[in-house]
Amino acid sequence: MNKRILLLTSILSLFLIFSFISPVFADESKQRVYDYADLLTDDEIDRLENLANQHGKKHEIDFIIVTTKDADNKDIFSFVEDFYDEMAFGFDKPNGNAAILALDMSKRDVYIAGFYKGEKYLDNKRVDLIREKMTPDLSSGNYEEAFTTFIETGSRYMQYIPGVNPESFLLQTWFHMIVALGLAALIVGTMAYNSGGKVTVNERTYTGDFKVLQRKDIYLTQNVTKRRKPKNNNSNRGGGGGGVTRGGHSHSGSRGKF
Amino acid sequence: MLIHYKCPDCGDDMAFDSESGKLTCGSCGRTDLIEDFSEEFITTRFSDEEAKEYVCNNCGAAVITDADTSATTCSFCGAGVVLADRVSGNLAPDKVIPFQISKEEARNAFKKWCKNGRLTPKGFMSADRIKGITGIYVPFWLYDLHSIADVKAKATKVRTYTRGDYIYTETKYYDVRRKIDLTFNKVPVDASEKMNDDLMDKLEPYDYGSLKDFKTPYLAGYLAEKYNYDNKDLFPRVKSKVSEYIDKHIGSTISGYSSVQYREKHVDTRERKASYVLLPVWMVYYDYDKQEHTFAMNGVNGKVVGKPPLSMGKVAAWFGSIAGATFMMAKIITFIIGGEIW
Repeated sequence: MNKRILLLTSILSLFLIFSFISPVFADESKQRVYDYADLLTDDEIDRLENLANQHGKKHEIDFIIVTTKDADNKDIFSFVEDFYDEMAFGFDKPNGNAAILALDMSKRDVYIAGFYKGEKYLDNKRVDLIREKMTPDLSSGNYEEAFTTFIETGSRYMQYIPGVNPESFLLQTWFHMIVALGLAALIVGTMAYNSGGKVTVNERTYTGDFKVLQRKDIYLTQNVTKRRKPKNNNSNRGGGGGGVTRGGHSHSGSRGKF
Repeated sequence: MLIHYKCPDCGDDMAFDSESGKLTCGSCGRTDLIEDFSEEFITTRFSDEEAKEYVCNNCGAAVITDADTSATTCSFCGAGVVLADRVSGNLAPDKVIPFQISKEEARNAFKKWCKNGRLTPKGFMSADRIKGITGIYVPFWLYDLHSIADVKAKATKVRTYTRGDYIYTETKYYDVRRKIDLTFNKVPVDASEKMNDDLMDKLEPYDYGSLKDFKTPYLAGYLAEKYNYDNKDLFPRVKSKVSEYIDKHIGSTISGYSSVQYREKHVDTRERKASYVLLPVWMVYYDYDKQEHTFAMNGVNGKVVGKPPLSMGKVAAWFGSIAGATFMMAKIITFIIGGEIW
């Protein structure tokens, strides 16, 4: 009896601890889809809001979608930065965890940015992958599908330890199969090969004297080639797609056309 | 000529005993040091040079041997006899390593070895169908060799460094020459036509510390073969055996380079001395699944070689469990990294 009470209380206290950890900012009524370019029907917006809310809660991040006619005549990059500063998006706090997908219909620019947790888990490499995945749908005008891909893929990538490429072949089942079968074949093959006994003598067994009588190492010539250092695309600052907003919020990013 | 050892005390047959290393009488237990066994108790009888049929000194029955046998046991009375004309003159061995493992120990060691086979069928592992186990002195040539190796090679050293925005790769070319003097001692090559070379190579090494001057009594009670190939015939084989060692050594003297490409390699190997020795091998004949399998065991250290049958079931089980475990591991790691399995 005592044990059962102990178990119950410990489960209860665990519950309490977890409920404290989980953030309080989760707001059902928050707007996450801003369709300034009128690409979506009301039903589609509802569905996307719902999806963004669901997946956002799971990973404590706000998935924001914004479509514009001309991005306020700014470059899409600055538009997204200013939009984030202005609207103070964030799941945990104003200007907190967020992932923003923005479209500029006039220049046909698309930009995805990740802030805070979004920057950490959706780094330049990963937002690149998401953008590439959704670009065909964007180009053919299937906006709802494209936005769904953004939320679902983003949510999936959030589960992976930062720095890992979620689409890497190392994580694919076919690769695991090959490794498993190859290793098994190698080990069993070696076992079968060695079952008849191994040669256990080596060059030292019968060695008497080894003497080097003559040793020459003559330097002849040299040849130097140079190539440019490859740019590191994975760094979160500069170079790649990310940057720091005027409000001082650093973010990852990937831009492209559709 | 047939040599037979009679016990000076009781007159029974004497044979070499691997445990004591002495000539031992099975009836009264008398043991004699081989070095000072009295000549008068060795009965010999000459017969024709190329004879294949000898007369046993002990019982008078005909001892029939094949042309290579130099020691055997009389099939009628079981007395160990040595065919003296096949271990004398040109055919006299210089040295011998006597058996250090008795028949019983050999049988047990073989059984133990069978149990360790991870891929051998269950029925084989019990080792209860040993058909025969025979101690044979196998003829070997032990070569002392002297080699001079002269190699010329082109080698490169590659270094990469970064300066500014560029990565530089610097390749330096070298002309390399090595002249090496190598000696090898007592490299064994089996000189019997009947013995499988691969099997014999795997039996090495033999403990040369127990090499003894050859005396016929060591052979009493065992089989022995005379050599079919002399040291000149087998020289190419020993040469190819050490060439691998020579290559390894040459490689080890050319170090510190990123790549080495040999342009000229000249190896001159000469025989300094070749001695004819008899080395002890237990041959184990084993019936399994209507087939006879032959194994050889080093008579000094008990190392067993020979291809045991493979159990397809066990191969499949090992393959399956390794593949399965690896696959599971990969999936667990994937789960830790990404929170999803597929």
